[in-house]
Amino acid sequence: MTASIASLIEQNAGSRGKSENILADDVYTFRLGELPPLLDEIDAVLLQSGAGAGACPAMECNNSVPSALLTLALMRAGRSFMLFPPSVAEDIKPVPRFCSHRIVISSPQAVAVPAANCFGIAANPFYNGKPAATEKLYLRTSGSMGVSKIVVHSHARLLGNARNVVGKYGFTAESRVSIPVPLAHMYGFGAEFLPAVIAGASIDLQDKTNVVRYLDHERRFRPDIVFVTPSLCEMLLTAFRKPRTQYQAFVTSGQRIGEELFRTFDRTVGGRLINQYGSTEMGATAACDFGDAPEKRAAEIGRPMDGVELRLEPRGDATNTDVSGDLYCRHPWGFEGYLDEDGEWIAKAAADGWYRTGDIAVKTPGGSMIVTSRADASVNRSGYLVMLSDIERIVERLDGVGEVAVVAGKKETERGQSIAAFCVLRSGAVLDGTQVRRRCADLMPPYAIPDEVRIVTELPLLASGKLNRRALESLVA
Amino acid sequence: MGVYIEAQRGIGEETMEGIIDRLRHLVAENMNLSVKPEEIDPDAQLLDGGLKLDSLSLVKLIGLSEREFGIEFGEDDLCMESFASLRALAGVIAVHPGGQDSGSHIATG
Repeated sequence: MTASIASLIEQNAGSRGKSENILADDVYTFRLGELPPLLDEIDAVLLQSGAGAGACPAMECNNSVPSALLTLALMRAGRSFMLFPPSVAEDIKPVPRFCSHRIVISSPQAVAVPAANCFGIAANPFYNGKPAATEKLYLRTSGSMGVSKIVVHSHARLLGNARNVVGKYGFTAESRVSIPVPLAHMYGFGAEFLPAVIAGASIDLQDKTNVVRYLDHERRFRPDIVFVTPSLCEMLLTAFRKPRTQYQAFVTSGQRIGEELFRTFDRTVGGRLINQYGSTEMGATAACDFGDAPEKRAAEIGRPMDGVELRLEPRGDATNTDVSGDLYCRHPWGFEGYLDEDGEWIAKAAADGWYRTGDIAVKTPGGSMIVTSRADASVNRSGYLVMLSDIERIVERLDGVGEVAVVAGKKETERGQSIAAFCVLRSGAVLDGTQVRRRCADLMPPYAIPDEVRIVTELPLLASGKLNRRALESLVA
Repeated sequence: MGVYIEAQRGIGEETMEGIIDRLRHLVAENMNLSVKPEEIDPDAQLLDGGLKLDSLSLVKLIGLSEREFGIEFGEDDLCMESFASLRALAGVIAVHPGGQDSGSHIATG
């Protein structure tokens, strides 16, 4: 039973306690009570631009009130749409062919422009004519090869995910929620913005966050809930000259927050720092509770959100004697699957609901889990994180190539750690390593091309039948 | 024992230009912008337009300015207005009670 976003917006607008709450950025401030007619105006602008019902727009989304209003208008109308951040890398085409329009938000600069007119709409010249689905949100994964998959969420499940977050951190109509993390990502949109909307909280959007802008917003808006990143925590520590006791929840995400940074920041914000575990696919998945000891909050994934299950699958590596395993997650409000640029399914979420997170974790004696590493090996090349499995996926599609395994070498090249590919050819295929490398050059960025490609007759396997990567690694310099 | 803070100096044009000059050197030498100090327009926007310092460079600029001028910004100094341009920042430094150069503005005794 999920109330639609439309009825939630109407409720907030009409409710005595909530209608005076605000949605604000550097330029605009609206009361929640003013939102329904504003969303009507946006509907009208979309209709005039030919992007009415039946269109599936891809929208460049910054942290501004116009962006936020547009997402609400599209969700209220049950429309499917894609969000992408303003600064996507040059080599990624942000608008997939199945999206009919591209929407660009103008930077909020002058209040003279009504919020409902703060965006430009253009038809997508590469639109493939695919009819729009209903009530979907599309987000891109951060592909390490300049190629990303498109993650499909349903509006209903997004609201389920948002409800979990509301309950977890205690969002209410009295909450003042500041959003400095990108609204175009699951973390900012699904885990912070939507929960704030359904709680009827006041919302402050910070675009192009830096420490002085953060402090300006903090002075003006007096937030008590804010979602941050480890790097923002680090920057804020240099700017916070006195402790913060006004916060109810400071939520960060990602394992890369070091324990020392966590402890220092946690002390500064009065023990209200929580490291949330989640992903683009699953949204908010687990988090510790405020009552947990700081060392627990710094290290452990914490309690799964309502209805979420986590389990470890031992790794099928014969040499593996530790207790770590692949972390799987079953989420009632998880994603539906991945689409390609044409809107065709690449893969649907598993029928039994279990999703391999790609993280390796261990169980603590208390039954909680600690993420120890990523399952997919990656190397840093020319400043880019390259997943070896992404290279494998591209090389195995080359004509004549049967199986392929890509491993990192020990050698340092001018691009970073060396990469080697081992290929088993299809019968009858004639290819050498140089030819494979040349074909790779057409399909991946230069920094991702393996430094060495060897043609082999078979790939070494472990007793379990899985690839013996260590044997391959010992073959490369 | 106590801390004696010398009364604020007026912001003479000369003093301001001196501070701006030191800030220009600081930015040119530490921010990876490949510009010469004299090429930096003290009225150019520091953040969004103009010099386009990113969020990490801003943190660096705060720390370097504090060290260079022997001051510690209060939280109220850390606002977008203070970091609008080098001239704006120089204005904040000039009136800072900690003094704007390595001189003896803070004396203990």
